[in-house]
Amino acid sequence: MTRVKILLFATLRERVGGAKFIELSLPNGATVQALKTQVAREFPALAENMKSALTTVNREFAFDEAILPEGAELAMFPPVSGG
Amino acid sequence: MRPPDHPTIFEITEDELDLDALLDAITLPSTGAAAIFTGMVRGVTSRGEAHETVYLEYEAYKPMAEAKMKQVADEIRARWPTIEGIAVVQRVGRLYPRTPTVLIAVTAAHRDTGVFDAARYGIDRLKEIVPVWKKEVGPNGEEWVEGDYIPKAGE
Repeated sequence: MTRVKILLFATLRERVGGAKFIELSLPNGATVQALKTQVAREFPALAENMKSALTTVNREFAFDEAILPEGAELAMFPPVSGG
Repeated sequence: MRPPDHPTIFEITEDELDLDALLDAITLPSTGAAAIFTGMVRGVTSRGEAHETVYLEYEAYKPMAEAKMKQVADEIRARWPTIEGIAVVQRVGRLYPRTPTVLIAVTAAHRDTGVFDAARYGIDRLKEIVPVWKKEVGPNGEEWVEGDYIPKAGE
């Protein structure tokens, strides 16, 4: 198991009371999909958001099958709305 | 490889956008044309569900946002090799109606070398892949605006 930190933005951050990040434990070699499942389990306030949230690994978009590299910078957020 | 003197500016900032200074920074001796797109906070919306906006609160994942803005600039250069300077700047924080929030500016030697299309591409791409969000605050409450674009692998 390894402890990971996930940066949150916008709606996701507000759902957990404004926390800039959350932490949880995952098996080594877990995928993005496993991360989403674990977030939904440990942070029920984020469960609904996991359906549409985007995940990034080291500041690049990552998809469900992708394996999380050790020590990577992880973030989750809704589809972007800048401009 | 583009010549090293072709400036590329990409920045998330809390400061007021200085359109003149940004244009100046991407104007070269060989520049004869610029296309500038800037978006501002719209206080009164009539298209779709009519409503009023008191202010917008912008937030960014800054290091990734700036990296993706550079990617947008790189994509512009790949599509329009004649482009000289590029500026991609997003302001964040609490912004009130009529305030410029974003600027995409491109320069080239002549106006018929793609500057209009390049600026259009730049703002469309920013709204797809640059991690910035806005919360709209109106007279009757607030709501996060969420986009609908899902990036693909490699974006």
